[in-house]
Amino acid sequence: MVTAVAAFCLFATLAIIEMSVAVSGALAAEVNLEDFDHQGNELYEAYDATPEIFLSADSGDRTLADYYSRRQYPGSPPIIPHPVDLTFSGNETDCLSCHAKGGYSAEFGKFTPVTPHPDNALCYQCHVQETTDELFVGSDWQSIDPPRLGRSALAGSPPMIPHVLQMRENCIACHSGPGAVAEIRVSHADRGNCRQCHVPAPQTAPIKEFHRQ
Amino acid sequence: MTKIKGKKEVTMKLDRRRFIQCAAASSAVATAGALFPGISFADWPKITGNSGMVSWQKAPCRFCGTGCGVLVGVADGRAVAVKGDPNCSVNKGLCCMKGYHSVQALYGADRLTKAKVRKNGQMVEVPIQEALDLVAEKLKETKDKHGKDSVAIYGSGQWTIPDGYVASKLFKGCLGTNNVEANARLCMASAVTGFITTFGIDEPMGCYEDIDNANVFITWGNNMAEMHPVLFSRMLANRKRRKDVTLIDFATRMTRTSQASDKSILFKPQTDLAVANAICHEIIANDWVNWEFVNQHVSFHKGKTNIGYGTEDHFAFTDKAEPIDFEAYKAFLEDYTPEKVERISGVSAKDIKYMAALYGDPSVKVTSFWCMGMNQHTRGTWINNLVYNIHLLVGKISMPGNGPFSLTGQPSACGTVREVGTLTHKLPHGVVMNEQARKHAAEIWQVPVTNIDPKPTYHTVEMFRALDRGDIKFIWIQVTNPMVTMPNLNRYRDGALKDDRFVVVSDVYPTPTTDVADVILPAAMWIEQEGMFGNSERRTQHFAQIVDPPGEAMSDTWQIIEVARRLGFEKQFPWSEKDYIEKIWEEYRLFHAGPKHEMAPYSVLAKRSGVQWPFVDGKETRWRFNPKYDPACTNGKDFDFYGKKDNRAWIWARPYEPAAESPDSEYPFWLNTGRIIEHWHTGSMTRRIPVLNNAVPTSYVELNPEDAADLGVVNGEKVKIISRRGEVIMPAQINGRGVPPRGMVFVPFFDESFLINEVTLDAFCPISKQPDYKKCAVRLEKA
Repeated sequence: MVTAVAAFCLFATLAIIEMSVAVSGALAAEVNLEDFDHQGNELYEAYDATPEIFLSADSGDRTLADYYSRRQYPGSPPIIPHPVDLTFSGNETDCLSCHAKGGYSAEFGKFTPVTPHPDNALCYQCHVQETTDELFVGSDWQSIDPPRLGRSALAGSPPMIPHVLQMRENCIACHSGPGAVAEIRVSHADRGNCRQCHVPAPQTAPIKEFHRQ
Repeated sequence: MTKIKGKKEVTMKLDRRRFIQCAAASSAVATAGALFPGISFADWPKITGNSGMVSWQKAPCRFCGTGCGVLVGVADGRAVAVKGDPNCSVNKGLCCMKGYHSVQALYGADRLTKAKVRKNGQMVEVPIQEALDLVAEKLKETKDKHGKDSVAIYGSGQWTIPDGYVASKLFKGCLGTNNVEANARLCMASAVTGFITTFGIDEPMGCYEDIDNANVFITWGNNMAEMHPVLFSRMLANRKRRKDVTLIDFATRMTRTSQASDKSILFKPQTDLAVANAICHEIIANDWVNWEFVNQHVSFHKGKTNIGYGTEDHFAFTDKAEPIDFEAYKAFLEDYTPEKVERISGVSAKDIKYMAALYGDPSVKVTSFWCMGMNQHTRGTWINNLVYNIHLLVGKISMPGNGPFSLTGQPSACGTVREVGTLTHKLPHGVVMNEQARKHAAEIWQVPVTNIDPKPTYHTVEMFRALDRGDIKFIWIQVTNPMVTMPNLNRYRDGALKDDRFVVVSDVYPTPTTDVADVILPAAMWIEQEGMFGNSERRTQHFAQIVDPPGEAMSDTWQIIEVARRLGFEKQFPWSEKDYIEKIWEEYRLFHAGPKHEMAPYSVLAKRSGVQWPFVDGKETRWRFNPKYDPACTNGKDFDFYGKKDNRAWIWARPYEPAAESPDSEYPFWLNTGRIIEHWHTGSMTRRIPVLNNAVPTSYVELNPEDAADLGVVNGEKVKIISRRGEVIMPAQINGRGVPPRGMVFVPFFDESFLINEVTLDAFCPISKQPDYKKCAVRLEKA
């Protein structure tokens, strides 16, 4: 299944390459991997595994501001915002004992956010623990605006998914449960089949218009 | 032009620069306010007034030799985000922390954007064209006055393929000197000589798909969890999914790789040589030898012994191969019974037999991985040979999941240094000693064949010794940082600072190497130029120019072209800025024509996320020497080791010999150096990535907890590390992510504030000339 909207990212990428080097012949990858439909099962598995009471639970512990304060740009791997013991071994059960399924952490007095990709068990491959706030030298880095919330195509229609699905195929992980960010927590996670109504349409890519060939 | 040189002056320069860095850092912190932990994107200035759209373009990652495909998000002409490239088979859409934040390395506040030249001891900004005039003038003047071998170029495996190609063409083809070397000499030269001596042809036979097929992974002195995390997590994912996968960590200290492995086996430094021989002894003693394979595809040889360590100037060594028979090889192994080797290595005979049984079991597929632990070794060529011996005895090679796999640490160590041949003895195809290779190169380069000198000159360590002695007076350093990475650094820094030495440095940020420069040329970085890298699995990866370089920054390739033209070589460097990368690639490809090394055309590279060579009839070669996958096999058998004249892979009788400098009563500790996951190479890029710097802002020395207790040092207290060459004082880390055994300390080398290479020893493998950064003797004091 390749929807025109979801396929845009790949087309945009290839279009730029085509423009700059004028490639010819068939494209190397016929399958569109960008909408991550090939990993859509992750949502269903998470849905089956999550008790209904948990799906609807809410704590209000985390806000979108907290969420973005962990990241360098929308979609970057968040830092580890709490201390990790120096002897931290990278043993997969250490992080995933809390972050695989979530739940209340007495240590931090909060509900634990759930990772959307528990199959990637080498957590410190991407996530770092900060030990200082001093830079080595200054930086001229600039970021982009985060996706707007409630982006519906029509008044009252289900909002589109404003971010790419890569590493985040499992909607349940971030959008439901007591550890979810308050602003993006959904009220109806018990429906489960999220992409029945919500269409992936990254805010950073223009809506592609249909033209009859 | 005069300049004030000497060590004192350098110290002052460093101090002044550090002061500026500190000032910049504290003002950044003031801006960030109290938002600790971390500088988040919520606090960064936002690009304003753009469409809000982000476009994505493919590139290989800038950092290690894994060669992950990344998609760089661009908004308003700036790189703003990174995703893993799902079309790239290397990483299948997943990166590591360095890849995800790599684009931030473009935007450090102290990017070099203007050329600088030394005038009356001070570095003064000048237009880049004026600086290039000066470089050409000095190069010509030095060559005319002191001869062609008084000028040199030193690059790295971070050079793009076109960078290295034009450097070789200018220096070897046009100027006629073989003074071309690269940082990769310090990084994988032993891997090359290992391949050449065993197989007669360079680079791994396998590919990363081996990870999805092997049952047993043995990492030889290789902390893959931190150094090649994307490949390591692919092994972990396989272990989780397939349940029949075992990871064995064979190492000198406990690391994150040890923690994740099923079994960790520690050996004493340098004794990997003895253990590898003991494994072969066991394979033969238990008759696990694959006789069909050995009889058809293997021949036995021995070389010279007691080959020295190269610590003296003008050291020379040439190995001599003598054929031996299997019985002689078997007799050689009698010194390496598991029980005898247990006494040398500290590895129990039981563990040696266990590893031998894994290699020997015909029902399991075994992949061995290694990188710096085996390459940065005074017997680096030998230990590469010895691991090949194991795989060859049991015939586990050149098949999916079965193979020895030599990894690289730089993004184009293979592509630019090994394939283009930016080493003193090499040409893009063949070696300078070979007349046919010289003729071939002269023809493609359109230079008289007499231009190409048949005699190699200096390997890297000897090149910097020649600079110190004054045999070399002009050196151009591009994309690397030898004033952090050279072993026994004090000597080589003093050499570079001597009065009539002229040092040109092309780089993107100020480093200890730009501190010793007479000319600094601002370089375009990574995706600010078009280019190609070549990764560890023979994959060539093209990237278009995605963003503009800042100020007057210029690609290293174009800098060399500008200088070549000023020297009168317009004919050899005729390209236009519009399509020079394509033209250079198509010229370079001519060197590798034929099924053993055919490279993909530019049009294919431009559209795919990396293409493996040999690329024959539109198909990539995933496993070499195996006719099912490799079209260069012609002998009609099930394998064809076509690199050697006898069509066989060579098993070598290579003995255990001790390290160049071992601990004694005066200097009782081993010093081991290396990397950590957050920082790459000398940290000149990763330290400018806020999230990585903030995770590990300074280096440290790892101590065994009992040694720390004896010394009376607790975590964070200062320790003085002293060798016969130098000393450094740095904070202790005890029970951190790595734990050395008693009698060893480990120091990450990324931090220019703690130059651990002032302490290390410039001993090298006499065959590969690669220094050993993993072993020298030090003593410790509480500071």
